[in-house]
Amino acid sequence: MKLLALMKKEFARFFRDPRLILSMLLPGILIYIIYSVIGTAVAPEPAAYAFKVYLSGESAVTQTIEQTVTLNEGWSLEYTQAEDVAAARAEVEAGEATALLVFSDNFDGTLGSGATAELYYNSEDSASAAFATLAGGVLDAYGRSFALTATDFAQTENFAAQMMAGLLPFLIVVFVFSSCMSVTLESVAGEKERGTLATILVTSARRWDIALGKVLPLACVSLIGAASSFLGVALSMPQLMGVSIDVAVSGIGFTGYLMLFLLIFSFVPLIVAAIAIVSTLSRSVKEASGYTSVVMILMMVLSLVTTFVGGIGDWVVAVPVLNAVSAMQGVLMGNMVLWQCLVSFALNIAYAALLVFLIGRMLSSERIMFGK
Amino acid sequence: MQENGSPFSDFGEEVVRAENLKKIFALSRKQQRLDKTGQTHKVAVSGLSFSAYRGEIYGLLGPNGAGKTTTLRILSTLIKPDGGDAFVCGHSVRREAQAVRDSIGFMTSELKLEGFFTPSYLFDFFGSLHGVDKATLAARKKELFGRFGIDRFAEVRIKDLSTGMLQKVSLVIAIVHDPAVVIFDEPTNGLDVLTAKVVTDFLLELKAMGKSILLSTHIFSLVEKLCDRVGIIIDGRMAADGTLASVCGGMPLEERFFEIYRSVKGDTL
Repeated sequence: MKLLALMKKEFARFFRDPRLILSMLLPGILIYIIYSVIGTAVAPEPAAYAFKVYLSGESAVTQTIEQTVTLNEGWSLEYTQAEDVAAARAEVEAGEATALLVFSDNFDGTLGSGATAELYYNSEDSASAAFATLAGGVLDAYGRSFALTATDFAQTENFAAQMMAGLLPFLIVVFVFSSCMSVTLESVAGEKERGTLATILVTSARRWDIALGKVLPLACVSLIGAASSFLGVALSMPQLMGVSIDVAVSGIGFTGYLMLFLLIFSFVPLIVAAIAIVSTLSRSVKEASGYTSVVMILMMVLSLVTTFVGGIGDWVVAVPVLNAVSAMQGVLMGNMVLWQCLVSFALNIAYAALLVFLIGRMLSSERIMFGK
Repeated sequence: MQENGSPFSDFGEEVVRAENLKKIFALSRKQQRLDKTGQTHKVAVSGLSFSAYRGEIYGLLGPNGAGKTTTLRILSTLIKPDGGDAFVCGHSVRREAQAVRDSIGFMTSELKLEGFFTPSYLFDFFGSLHGVDKATLAARKKELFGRFGIDRFAEVRIKDLSTGMLQKVSLVIAIVHDPAVVIFDEPTNGLDVLTAKVVTDFLLELKAMGKSILLSTHIFSLVEKLCDRVGIIIDGRMAADGTLASVCGGMPLEERFFEIYRSVKGDTL
């Protein structure tokens, strides 16, 4: 009851102030604009691809791929049965053919009982990369009843794609952090500075309720910012990849998008709680703002680590926020590791709960609350 | 505590009892420089004991830095005593802080209301935090807002209220849960004469309603006008405690205070 009253007050504070609502929606709009502009600048004009794809074996999924290809204006597909698989692979590797799809015998009839599919492509060729994204998505959506092996013949990694997939989670963290900061600093350090928090402390509300009554609504409000950022990312991805939205969605896949959302969902309360801790320790908004900027820089550095430092081990899942960044990069690069996503999600929520517990303790500390 | 050997019953039911309260603060280096002292700690309250009774106004009188605010903060559970204990309506501030907070309304200039909200909203909000049910809350709002003329400003944002009206709203919100004891730190400090009158009238009205009031002040006239009993605090210690008449001993309060002050601190003021 008391927790509900505290939460309602925080929500009322936010939803009755149009400026705060706007500040939450801006990050997503900015991400959309920035990435759409980058996508337009980086990607050439929507290319008119004429895919030449070798087939070995048969499957009805090839028709689905063909239908999906034709959804894109100017794209066409021509299948050729590969007489010699090795020669077809060599052509793909040399960039003379778009891709090679190899289906096991009686593929459609053995789904769920040993069917396999192989996709060979060369991402150095933009047409081959686009086809691989599309075909990979369609095959992924075809069900998990067969084993898919994708082989990329590219000698050099696609640096631009790496940069984008690496920077995107970093940008999400920065924008979400800014959203959390704008509401949390005001709500915790601001209330402490103005003496309105002490007014609540002399009521019979428990310290835990007061801490949770702050963090939960602020996290919900910040989630609006996070959802805005997420939509900004989701909607700008097609422009970034130079493909239609259908292809982009099938490229990342439903599970990928779900994981992206869960990861963002998990580090929002964590960031809110972390800023609330800094705010509780500070004597004024100005002081809290200074300390929070340091936390933000630290978080930015951590987020960039995964982009530029290779070979980071599994230990990364234990590091708050960094785990989500790393997992998001996996999703965006098509190397999603499900356990990493789920463990990162769970750990970030657990870390947030721990921080709320600490805030409750801090609210009971006279040195922190009333120290000069 | 017995006053001049009188039993408790002469003063009604004991609602606040401080027993040998002690509070020590660590001094920051900056504070040490300001105080021109090398001491790392300051004893704010030292062995303070007193009692306040139902339906009375008890005044803690003393100069700045005597320990009045610290004592009231201990009683309101905002800070914990380092020694001794205090009881409000029988609840220990050390062990039953929540029950104490349920029994008191605490007012100090340091506690503020959020300017963004309206008196009506905040009255409901603080009522909910004290666990007051909706029907009771609505009835109390109508009664208190009407009595103090807040009803016409119920939906005006706090930041747009005049100082006097803001003070009234703060007072009314402090007693939203109908507490048995009202604790008021420096009630008229920094207020203009009109707003100060609002506050003193309010306190007298609370007393008439049967509330027990504990206030701190350094203003002699305020004690003389409002208080039934007075405790004089100097350097964190209780220098005199009793009914106003017994403490004054026929002298004007101001004169008596300085007499006590000189006896404690020596001739220097």
